[in-house]
Amino acid sequence: MRSLRRRLELGCRIGVFALLGWLIGTSLFPAPARLVETASTTNLGERLSSWTRTPTSVALHATLEAAPSSQAIAWLAALRHAGHSVSWSGSPAPAVVVAEPVVDPNGAVRVNVAAPANSRVTLADVAGAIDSARVGLLGVSFTVPLTVDSLVARVNQQSLAVAKPADVTPRAVFVVGDAGWEAKFVASALEERGWKVVTRFAVAPGVNVRAAEEPPLDTAHVAAIVAIDSSIEALGPVVRRFVEQGGGIVLAGSAAGARVVSPLAAGSVGPRARRNVAANDTIGLGTTGYFPVASVRDDAVALERRASGVAVAARRIGAGRVLQVGYDDSWRWRMAGGPGSEAAHRDWWSRVVSSVAYAPVTANTQSRTFDAPVASLFGKLGPPRPAPVSSRGTVDPRLMLALILLLLLVEWTSRRLRGLR
Amino acid sequence: MSAEFVFATAQYDSGDWDSAPLLPANIIDTIARYTEINVAPTGVIAPLSDARMLRYPFLYLTGHLPVRFSDAERRNVRQFIERGGLLFIDDHNHDIDGVFHKTATEEIARTVAPLAELPNDHPLYSSFFKFDGPPTTSHELNGWGDNLVHKHLLAVQRRGRIAVLYSSKDYSSEWNYHPDSKRFLSVDNTRFAVNLVVYALTA
Repeated sequence: MRSLRRRLELGCRIGVFALLGWLIGTSLFPAPARLVETASTTNLGERLSSWTRTPTSVALHATLEAAPSSQAIAWLAALRHAGHSVSWSGSPAPAVVVAEPVVDPNGAVRVNVAAPANSRVTLADVAGAIDSARVGLLGVSFTVPLTVDSLVARVNQQSLAVAKPADVTPRAVFVVGDAGWEAKFVASALEERGWKVVTRFAVAPGVNVRAAEEPPLDTAHVAAIVAIDSSIEALGPVVRRFVEQGGGIVLAGSAAGARVVSPLAAGSVGPRARRNVAANDTIGLGTTGYFPVASVRDDAVALERRASGVAVAARRIGAGRVLQVGYDDSWRWRMAGGPGSEAAHRDWWSRVVSSVAYAPVTANTQSRTFDAPVASLFGKLGPPRPAPVSSRGTVDPRLMLALILLLLLVEWTSRRLRGLR
Repeated sequence: MSAEFVFATAQYDSGDWDSAPLLPANIIDTIARYTEINVAPTGVIAPLSDARMLRYPFLYLTGHLPVRFSDAERRNVRQFIERGGLLFIDDHNHDIDGVFHKTATEEIARTVAPLAELPNDHPLYSSFFKFDGPPTTSHELNGWGDNLVHKHLLAVQRRGRIAVLYSSKDYSSEWNYHPDSKRFLSVDNTRFAVNLVVYALTA
């Protein structure tokens, strides 16, 4: 019995010291805030302005099923920099949108959207919806001939916004070949599509039909070379330098076999694949045959395959691009093809040249042509975390004082009842 | 099929389209003689009523008789021009009062567009050999036909290129001989044909 009373007194003394120590500790090192404000995908935009006015002791948490706009993410990051505890949770589907100018005289914009398979992507600008598509495997690509201001891609409740990239004014296209229908109609098709075309056609030994002023073969003057046949040989080693500097080259038909360009080609030139064309057959691209790209190099990519082999393959050399196109009489498609073949021929050749043409890099610091909100979320706010638990804050010190006094009273009473002072 | 130049003579229903049978071989010989153009050794006949005429972007049309295209011929010629072909028409009568001239120019105006004078400094005259204008023919100088020396060719231009070239100079008579006979000429009188073909292939 006596021992129990002593233990009680000792416990009271320890308790008093512990509470005093706790009070001193909390006064020196205040406990973090425990109030938590939360928002969801739908009301985050509304909550941001009120969150800006809350004290920094309040923790902020967003539960996101879709990535918010880049503006909202930047706002959350600013709140974190201002001293708020900001966190997020959820599993928004990752999506990326990139807008880049198409090197085309008509100034189109290519918008590539990467999103999970089967997502529905809708592309719009301030004037309204432009197009929509469902993602197959990795993403979708839109080519938009005309845009008004910025572009918005909507993917799984997310809005990804990019500015319209600055237009690129393409430089000249240099068409080189023997005088013949293919060279003539390739040059015509490009000219009709708005390209500035410079030609050099070999007519006889030492005789070329050429432009009055042939530009120097560099990327300041020429965007791409189209070699129709082996007459490209006459240009010499300057071709390689041009491509390495960023210029594009299209090696059509058997041109890839020419000595000056064969090291650049995507592959070697195979024997011409010939097809049996009946007198009344409608002629299309490659109907009458083509030169297959044989032995495609490891660093080249086959872009079009036909029964007899690869018809189109691409490769990068330095900063430039090389496209090897096996077709050598696309003019037959234009002249003797079905309805609309002339326009199709024109568009096809324009796309071929556009895919390799040199585009001058323009520093555009004013506008963003790339948006990846989920990546931005991770980058600016870190990985998702569970929402912090809300609490009522620190214990009232007066209560602690009362508790100390009570413990001292108990200890003193116990001692007095035992006859001690 | 490889890319090559085929000399095609236009066949039309209304007239004597084959009035210069030796001309194709002579022009083919000239092209092969002066240039490296991959030219087919023989010419072909391209009926204007058959859409396969579109396989030959250069067509030569001549005759003495009236030219009246059928609907199919007109449709094909129109398409031929729209797709970038060049139609060379030569009046074998060398007579601007003759029926060929009157009907052919009328037919071209109806099918394509009215013909207009081609300036003598046009690139056609310098595309290979240098000429000050259309070379004269012996038929002009001998006073046959309309007894005129025509100073200009006529043309319909489309997108800055000649789509239809019309001659009243009677090259069909001038060039209608066996190629071997060129050796008897001090100056080859078919050289302008090289300009025509080179222009068609390069402009």
